Amino acid sequence: MAIDQTTDRRVYSADDPIIEIRNAAVTYDEGRSYVLDHVSLELERGEILGVVGESGSGKSMLASSLLDAVPSPGHLTGEITYRPDGKAPINILELEKADRRSLRWEDISMVFQGAMNSFNPTLDLRTHFEETLRAHDADIKKGLGRAEELLEDLYLEPDRILDSYPHELSGGMQQRALIALSLVLDPDVLVMDEPTAALDLLMQRSILLLLSDLQEKYNLTMVFITHDLPLVAALADRMAIMYAFRLVEIGDTRDIVENAAHPYTRALLNSTPNLDAPLSEMQPIDGQSPAPINMPTGCAYHPRCPLATEECRTEVPDYHEVETDHGSACYHWQASYDEVPLLHENSPGDTTGGVDE
Amino acid sequence: MKHTESDTGSEREFSFGAAQSEVEVTTADRLREFYREFIYKPGLVAWEDRRTRIGAIIMGIYVFIGTIGAWLYREPSTNQSPRSLRPFETLEAPLGTTGSGQDVLAMVIHATPEMLIMILSGGIFATGLAVLIGTVAGYKGGTTDRVLTTFSDVMMSIPGLPLIMVLAVVVSPERAAVIGILITINYWAGLARSIRSQVLAIREHSYVEASRTMNVSTPRILLKDIIPNMMPYVLVNFANAARYVVFASVGLYYLGILPTSVANWGIQLDNAYSQAGALSGGGTMYQLVVPMIAIMFLALGLILLAQGMDRVFNPRVRTRLAGESGSETDDEDTAAPTEVMT
Amino acid sequence: MNNYYIKRTGRAVLTLWVTVTLTFGLIRAIPGGPLEMLRARLVRQGVDPSRIDAIIQSRQQESQPIYVEYYEYMSSLLSGNLGESFYFREPVSDIIIDALPWTVFVMVTATIILFAIAVVWGALIAYKEGSTFDTASSGLSILLSSVPFYVLGILFVVVFSYKFGVFPARYRTSPGISPELSFLFIQDALYHAALPIASVVITQVGLQTLAMRGNSIQVLGEDFVRVARLRGLSDRRIATRYVGRNAILPMYTGFLTLIGFNLGGSVILEEIFTYTGIGYYMFEALINRDYPLMMGIFLVITTALVLSVYIADLTYGLIDPRVKSGDSNEAY
Repeated sequence: MAIDQTTDRRVYSADDPIIEIRNAAVTYDEGRSYVLDHVSLELERGEILGVVGESGSGKSMLASSLLDAVPSPGHLTGEITYRPDGKAPINILELEKADRRSLRWEDISMVFQGAMNSFNPTLDLRTHFEETLRAHDADIKKGLGRAEELLEDLYLEPDRILDSYPHELSGGMQQRALIALSLVLDPDVLVMDEPTAALDLLMQRSILLLLSDLQEKYNLTMVFITHDLPLVAALADRMAIMYAFRLVEIGDTRDIVENAAHPYTRALLNSTPNLDAPLSEMQPIDGQSPAPINMPTGCAYHPRCPLATEECRTEVPDYHEVETDHGSACYHWQASYDEVPLLHENSPGDTTGGVDE
Repeated sequence: MKHTESDTGSEREFSFGAAQSEVEVTTADRLREFYREFIYKPGLVAWEDRRTRIGAIIMGIYVFIGTIGAWLYREPSTNQSPRSLRPFETLEAPLGTTGSGQDVLAMVIHATPEMLIMILSGGIFATGLAVLIGTVAGYKGGTTDRVLTTFSDVMMSIPGLPLIMVLAVVVSPERAAVIGILITINYWAGLARSIRSQVLAIREHSYVEASRTMNVSTPRILLKDIIPNMMPYVLVNFANAARYVVFASVGLYYLGILPTSVANWGIQLDNAYSQAGALSGGGTMYQLVVPMIAIMFLALGLILLAQGMDRVFNPRVRTRLAGESGSETDDEDTAAPTEVMT
Repeated sequence: MNNYYIKRTGRAVLTLWVTVTLTFGLIRAIPGGPLEMLRARLVRQGVDPSRIDAIIQSRQQESQPIYVEYYEYMSSLLSGNLGESFYFREPVSDIIIDALPWTVFVMVTATIILFAIAVVWGALIAYKEGSTFDTASSGLSILLSSVPFYVLGILFVVVFSYKFGVFPARYRTSPGISPELSFLFIQDALYHAALPIASVVITQVGLQTLAMRGNSIQVLGEDFVRVARLRGLSDRRIATRYVGRNAILPMYTGFLTLIGFNLGGSVILEEIFTYTGIGYYMFEALINRDYPLMMGIFLVITTALVLSVYIADLTYGLIDPRVKSGDSNEAY
C-alpha cells in the first residue's frame, strides 16, 4: 500500500502509543495473496480500540499479529513495536522464543472467540490459573489472590469457579473466567477477538459493562475485535473498520458512527439492526467480500461500491483526512455522504444503551 | 490459501444433501440424478485421494481374478502336475504345487470368487442391518429406540469370533453367502449404534425438520433425507466389514471349523502349515506365502479404500493443514467421539 | 448420575443373560439335542450299546418341560457348574481355571504394549503431520493392519521356531517348569509368550496408531491448545496434559474392549502356537464337538468382554470429568 507519509502519520498516530503496527502483513502462500494486507495502526495507551469487519476480513489475523501468534503456516511480516511504560521499546516480531513467551500474557494478553473451546475440558479452572502462573514463574499464591479478585470483579464466585471444570459453567461464566485468566499476569494490553460472539444479547451487554470497569480499574489498553459495529461503538474510544484484509477507515467512535466517510462503513451502518429503526429499513450490502486469492485491483471495495470510478479500479486509495484523527481510504469520501445516505441517525451506544456513563 | 480454496470448492460441489425439490421427475431423471449425486460426484472426489485410488485398483484386480481369472485358469485338482514343485520351475504351475500335486496358483485363484461373494454378502448384511436399525432407532426415538439400542448393545458385547465359531459348528454352513452373513452376525451392532447417533444429529438439521412438518411419511424421510447423508460413512464401514469377513473366514477355514467344500486360502494355509511343521523347515514356505499375499493384498485394498474414503468424506479427519485459517470458519463442530473399530 | 450406573449394570447383566440363553438354545439346536450328546458321551466312555439305549429311553421318558430344563441349566451355571468335557473327561470349570490366566496374561500384555506404542507413535506422527515421517508411518500402519494376526503368527513359528529355533513353537512353559514366583518361571513364561504377544502387537498397532494420530491432529487444532501455547505453557505439558490426555480419552473404551475381543481371537492364536490357554481348549472343543467345553469357554470369553466394557463404563468418569457430572449418559 503506497502511503503518503504525511497523511499516514496524522491518521494512524497516537500521542502516547503503546503499540505501533507498521505494514503488518500475513500470507499463507509466500506473498501471492495476503490475509492481512499491510496494515498500519497505532494503539494509544489506555484506550479501547474497536476493530470492526465482516468474518473473513482479516480482523482475527490483526489480533493474532499483536502477539506474533498467527496460526501456522502463516507468515507475518512488518513491524510491531511494543512500548512498555518507561522502558525501552520492544520489536515483537524479532523477539527470541523465551522473550516472546514472557511477552505474551505478561504484557499483551488475548481472549479468543468461543470461550468454551479455550479451556482444556479435562482440567479444572484452578489448574488453568496455576499452570499459567507457574509457566511464567509468578508467585502462585499471590497470583491466585489476584485471580480471585478478578473473578469477583467479573461477578463470579471465585471458589466455586476455580473448583469447576469448564463444562460445568455456562457460556457467559466461561467467557468471564477466560477474561480473568487472560488478566491474571497483569498485562498492559488485552486483545479480544469476538469475545461475545457466542453469547446472548443480555450477557453481551453485561460483559461490555464489566470490560469498561476492568479497563479503568487495571489501566488496560484494549483491542476489541468484532463484526458487530453497534456493539463495540458503545465501548470503544476509537474504531477501525476493516474490509478485505485492509483498514479502510479509522477515527474516533463518534466520528465513525455519526460521520462515517467511507462508503463501506456507511453501508455497514445501514445494514446493522438498530433498535430505533424499523427492520424494513435495514439494507444488506449487495455482493460478497472478496477472498484473498482473487482480490480486486485497486480499492477492494470497488465491485460493490456505487461511487467506483476508473481510479478506484486501478489504484489502491490512500488515506484521506476527513478530520483530525479521522481517515478514510476512499477517493470519493466526500461524495459518499450524499451517495450513501445513512438511513437513521446514529449515536454511539444506541443499541447497547446505558454502557457509556 | 490457493489450496484451501480449491479444497472448499470441491467440498461444496460435493454435497450429499438430497434437496431436490422438483416434484415431477421421471424415473429416468431420478436415476440419472441419483447416479450423479451418489455415484459420479462422490466417486470423482474419492478418486482424488491416492489411498482410495490404489484401494480401488486393488479391488478391481481381485474382481478380475475372481471372475475372468477363475474362468480362464484351470481348476485345482490332485496330481494335476508333478508333486511339490517349487515356484517358477515350470510354466505349467508357475507358483509351484503342493505335496499332492495341486497347482498353488490355481488354488489361490479359484478361492477368490467365493471370497468375493462372502465379502459382498457380509458387507451388505452388516451395513444394511446397521443402517436399518440405526436409522429407525435414531429417527423414531422413544420405546423403539430403547429396545433397538439395548438390542444392539447386547449384540455388541458378545465377542464376534467365538460366537461365529460356535454357530459355525452348530450350523455347518456350506454356501459362501451364508458364511458371509454368519461372520457379520453381530458386526453390525457397533455400526448401528454410531449410525443412530448420527441420525440423531442429522435429525436436528432444519431440512429434516421441515420435511417432518410438511407431513412426509417417516420411511420417506429416512430414505430421502437421512440415509443419503450417511452414505459415505456407510461405505467406509462396508470396507471395514469386508476386511473383517476376510480375516475371520480365513481364520475359520484355517482352524478347520467350516466345511471344506468351499475353496479358501485358509485351507491352503492350514495344509501348508501342518506340512511345514512336519518338514521342520522353510521348504514349503512358498505354499504359505502365496495365500498369505492373497489375503494381505485384499485386506490392504479394503483398508486403503476405508481410510481414503474416511479422509475424503469425513471433515473431522481432514487435516489441519488443508483446513481453514481460523477466522474464516464459524463452524460449531460438535465432534463426535471417535469409536475405535478393529 | 446414578441412573447411568444402573443402566450400565443392567446392560451387563442383560447381555450375560442373553448369552447364557443363547448357549442353552444352541445346545438344543444341535442335531439330536442333549440326548444325542449324552449318547455320544456314553459311547466314548465305552458303555455297552444296549445299556446306552436303555438309559436314553429312560431319559426320554423323564424328559422335562423346557422351562424346567432352562431353570436347572441356569441354576447349575450360577453355582459354577459348567458341566464336564467329553473329550478331556474333566469338569469344564477346572480346565478353564487352569487355562484362563495364561490367555489373559498374553492378551492383556499384548494390548497394553500395543496401546502404549500406538499412543506415543500416533502423537508423534500428529505433531509431524505432513512430513515424510508422517507419510511413511501412516503407510506402514496401513500395511501392518492388512496382516491378520494369525498370518504373522504362522510366519513367526515357521521362521523363528522351525527354521532358526530361537523361540519355542509350543506350550506355555518348558517341560519341568512349575508355576511359581521365581525368576526362572517368569523368564520361561515370557519366552513362550513372546511370539504370540508380538504377533498381536504388530498386527493391531497400526489401526490404533492411526486412530491416535487422527485424535491428536484434531486436538492440536483445538483452540485450547493454541491458548495454552499463548499462555506460555511448556511444550511438554501441552503434549501430555493437553494433546495426549484429550486424544487418549476417546480410545480408552476401545482399549478395554479390545482386551475382551482379543480373548476371542485367542482361539486362532493359541492353536498356531499350541499355547494351552482357553483359546486352545476352545479349538479342541470345536474340532471334537465337545459342546460343554465349547459353551463353557464361550460363556467365559463373553463374560470377560462384558466385564471389560462394564469396567470401561464405570471408570470412564474417573478419567473424563465431563462424564462425572452425569450430564452425558453416553460414554461412547
